[in-house]
Amino acid sequence: MNIELLTLSEVDAVSGEKGDFTVRVRRHPRYIDPSKCIACGACAEKCPKKTDDPFNLGLGKRKAAYIKYGQTVPLKYAIDPDACLYMLKGRCRACEKFCPTGAILLDDKESFTDVHVGSVILAPGFSPYDPTGVDHLGYGRWPDVVTSLQFERLLSPSGPSLGHVSRISDNRDAKKVAWLQCVGSRNINRADNAYCSSVCCMYALKQALVAAEHVGQGGEFTIFYMDMRCHGKEFDRYMDRAREAGVRLVRARPHTIDPGPNNTGVIMTYAGEDGKAVREPFDLAVLSVGMETDPASRDLAGRLGISLNAHRFAETASFSPVQSNVPGILVTGAFLSPKDIPQAVTEASAAAAEAARDLSAARGTLAREKTYPPETDVSATDPRVGVFVCSCGINIAGVVDVQDVAEFARGLPGVVYVENNLFTCSTDTQALIAEKIAELNLNRVVVAACTPRTHEAVFADTLREGALNPCLVEMANIRNQCSWVHAAEPEKATKKAKDQVGMAVAKVLGNEPLDKIRVEVVPRALVVGGGLAGMTSALALAGQDHEVILVEKADRLGGNALLLERTWKDEPVAQAVAQLVSRVESHPKITVYKNARITSVDGSVGSFISTLEAGGETREITYGAAILAVGGKESRPDEYLYGEDPRVLTHLDFDQRLKEDPASIRRAESAVFIQCVGSRTPERNYCSRVCCTHTLKSSINLKQAKPDMNVFVLYRDIRTYGLRETLYQKARSLGVMFIRYDLEDKPRVEAGADSLVVTVKDHVLGLPLELAADLLVLAAAIEPADAHDLLHLYHASANEDGFFTEAHPKLRPVDMSADGLYIAGLIHYPKPVEETVTQALAAASRAGVLLSKSELSLSAATSRHNADICMSCLACFRMCPYNSPYINEEGRVAHNELKCTGCGICAGVCPAKAFSVRNIRDDQIVSMIDALTADLCQGPGFSGSQA
Amino acid sequence: MIVGKQKPIEETWAMVKDFSRVLVFGCNTCVAVCHEGGNKEAQILASLMRMKATQEGLSLEIRDSGIERQCEHEFFESAEKDIEWADAVLSLACGVGVQFMVKRYPEILVYPGLDTCFLGDVEKNGLFTESCQACGKCVLAETAGICPVSRCAKRVLNGPCGGSNKGACEINKDLPCAWQLIVDRLEALGRLADYERLAPIKDWSTERAGGPRKLIHEEFMK
Repeated sequence: MNIELLTLSEVDAVSGEKGDFTVRVRRHPRYIDPSKCIACGACAEKCPKKTDDPFNLGLGKRKAAYIKYGQTVPLKYAIDPDACLYMLKGRCRACEKFCPTGAILLDDKESFTDVHVGSVILAPGFSPYDPTGVDHLGYGRWPDVVTSLQFERLLSPSGPSLGHVSRISDNRDAKKVAWLQCVGSRNINRADNAYCSSVCCMYALKQALVAAEHVGQGGEFTIFYMDMRCHGKEFDRYMDRAREAGVRLVRARPHTIDPGPNNTGVIMTYAGEDGKAVREPFDLAVLSVGMETDPASRDLAGRLGISLNAHRFAETASFSPVQSNVPGILVTGAFLSPKDIPQAVTEASAAAAEAARDLSAARGTLAREKTYPPETDVSATDPRVGVFVCSCGINIAGVVDVQDVAEFARGLPGVVYVENNLFTCSTDTQALIAEKIAELNLNRVVVAACTPRTHEAVFADTLREGALNPCLVEMANIRNQCSWVHAAEPEKATKKAKDQVGMAVAKVLGNEPLDKIRVEVVPRALVVGGGLAGMTSALALAGQDHEVILVEKADRLGGNALLLERTWKDEPVAQAVAQLVSRVESHPKITVYKNARITSVDGSVGSFISTLEAGGETREITYGAAILAVGGKESRPDEYLYGEDPRVLTHLDFDQRLKEDPASIRRAESAVFIQCVGSRTPERNYCSRVCCTHTLKSSINLKQAKPDMNVFVLYRDIRTYGLRETLYQKARSLGVMFIRYDLEDKPRVEAGADSLVVTVKDHVLGLPLELAADLLVLAAAIEPADAHDLLHLYHASANEDGFFTEAHPKLRPVDMSADGLYIAGLIHYPKPVEETVTQALAAASRAGVLLSKSELSLSAATSRHNADICMSCLACFRMCPYNSPYINEEGRVAHNELKCTGCGICAGVCPAKAFSVRNIRDDQIVSMIDALTADLCQGPGFSGSQA
Repeated sequence: MIVGKQKPIEETWAMVKDFSRVLVFGCNTCVAVCHEGGNKEAQILASLMRMKATQEGLSLEIRDSGIERQCEHEFFESAEKDIEWADAVLSLACGVGVQFMVKRYPEILVYPGLDTCFLGDVEKNGLFTESCQACGKCVLAETAGICPVSRCAKRVLNGPCGGSNKGACEINKDLPCAWQLIVDRLEALGRLADYERLAPIKDWSTERAGGPRKLIHEEFMK
């Protein structure tokens, strides 16, 4: 209720300044009044005009009256003025005739709205590269050449082929599919996109894996690539999985795509790694198209005065990664550079942090809160259940006989009212449910509709409006789990929907009203780690007026950033870090403890208590949220003569030598860089993300200072993702030589009298090359800090490489799974300066949301512990991911419900059944099973059944 | 504690299927901790057996019940009715509990639902390991706190034997040699001199070679 959504709208102009902007919004006509539209779909059904469906990228058709896709928010139809017959030819108006609510507004006009805001965030996204007209790819000429986004639609169960992978030309099964990487990326010849689009290697792998699942036996999947860029967390393992599943990775760039016989399928010509030409047929060619800034976004940038760089992305500095050149206007997402979901989500939170900092003085002044009538006490009354069966337009009613389901529900025990609605979630139906609750004294509600994941909160709120406790509602998911998956068998689907409703009713009878648990929030954050991430988070939170305790284990702030010279964009690091340190140390809201560590943790989200040891003294601290930013480090290699020969250095050694003794570096006649030293190995199966860029930066420096120096880079895949790719181009143009090696055939290093001798097999010649090197720089892996003690204290988890685990790798990238804990920096995964700053801002944003509340209300659907029958066997204690069972002063198991999330693991493992999750009790589940099997369990053995 | 393992259902089913009233009876202490014989497992097994009865078209009635410990009289009171109802009881207790029931209810057929395995610890969640054989004469003081009676396959008291190989026992390379563990720990504690002392021949009469054992506290028996 605090987000106002303006769709079909564009920012026309922004005036004013930071803290006081007026944004003029151009509102395109929808031709349908959203306040009247109930999304029944009658307009689309009756609309006679079909047009290409842009959502399916031309692979399917839709009507001129349409919704973009089934899950659009808001779920309101619109009319496409470029297709509507009335608008083009002046007659039709079928939609108007059939709309049951009179929502059609065919004379709707463009209008303007002024919005008054303090801060503006631009997140206009990207458009995919359009390969039309690039002759050798054949896109638009040969039917079986599609873009990766089109293929994504082909794979989608809701797409034009219902997820069936088929050829476009003849609709036959596509068994053999090839992906071509870097279409419109890393290309300045046929496209003006020098950069890498960052995400295509991973999406190609994903599409190949999903396609393999859809196609099954006989599928063959090939990805043609230049470098496999799997530089994200767990990405290399994902590539291994794809390889194990049979996906073929071929390092080649097919130069011609010809049509197959009768224009079906394609024939590709490419040169293999051995240089030999191959012609190979495929059913489908998928062009892995890159990302570009949309021309409309470029216009927007122009109107707002946002600087774009040479690659048409918004330009920001590494230490303020989401601040545009216009104060108060923040930029985020693919508008800044091509990026994947976790990075985009993180960046969005970072922008929110900056906006929150800018607006902190006005925080809460415009926020609205909903009020509810007092709850009715239902404990002593007999159950009176209302059942609302949703048609979901035709989503459910098109398959399931909803009337029959409603009729069945009428006969269920405890049910006093049943109704079928077109959309049970529509605002008017919700108001009606609240009315019915009051009118008929309903004390339990079942909604047979879609998934509780998205809608339970909606109906829980409806119950509160009807003066009922929100825990007295149950949902039966007769859409996602029934009509959608059993579309081919409507009769069986109707039977299943009845079973689902019967089970939901059986369960809701046992639901108890639960009160939310309230926790007073300690308005203070703990930040563990005083490196770049920790300091950035601390300042962002302090800037929002929250108190911060910053704990650093070393005797100075700065961490790894103290060892870095320049960012890849050539910004000096030392100066920026010194500034950060002094701002942190002088900030009145930040208390810094050095030589310090956390030795105990108690409490939970909103109210933690810890022991802090600093400089020999111990003190107790309290805080509402904690950001763990304990960092990582460059590993010490144990190969290539490292530590044995002074000419062998790591990146950081090299940077330091260059600073302290530049002459010794300049004397070298030749330098060799070896990549992936300790990364992407069986022991450390991840990419350290920053080393390719670091190597290129250093090699460019060497070449620029001494152009006749021989500089070699021995690599496996060059992973200069995003705009870093320009460094790769520059290094090559300066004459840096790149030689690829395989993990199975690593370079060898021997100490010669005058120089080191590095032997590497040239993959084209197939012969060993000997390189004389005066300097050997090893791109040593980045390791997480050893933070076992902290993990143990917070009961947090790390992946097998030791990097802390986030709550959801894509959608909650800075939250940890326990509430109130956030991660930032190298302890999450290796990353460069600007990504560290972004993530630190994001963590501060997430923690700030928590700290800006005075009180938290935690879910009451927690697990209840019955100490009387507990035998303290510790199964719960050992298995609980949230550390909520503990050993009390009497040495017995007790339970802290504040930490409990109601996940139910304890109830599952407890041999004494001392734990039960509220409203998911065993007796409820048994009664659901009884309801489901009422007509099956007539067997003699069941007469003795006990709950 | 005592660690047991449920017998395969085919085996227990064959014991009880010909009766008409069967009680699956849990023991909620030791064998509940190892997730094999508690009241919860009794519920699950009874439910499985009811399904089996339906599948096979048999008309026996199967109930479940359970008590804290099947090795003490007083706990049985709460389950007396269930036990009297049954013509056969499938006890999920250890062998002690099964025999205790046999002594207590001479008229009722009591069958074992578990194979009693060993006296063990919970090394970590889900891992139960044997660490005592109840030999009746503890030698841990002489062996750095590591028991050669339960952890050495040969129970040698002056080990290791010739089968100790790189720290592993000759019967299984994944089994650590108990005597290697003893020597390593003595060394770590700086007490290798203890190793030089020969252990005398062990008096096995305190073990079950001397017949079933008893512990008597006369002061409690009055």
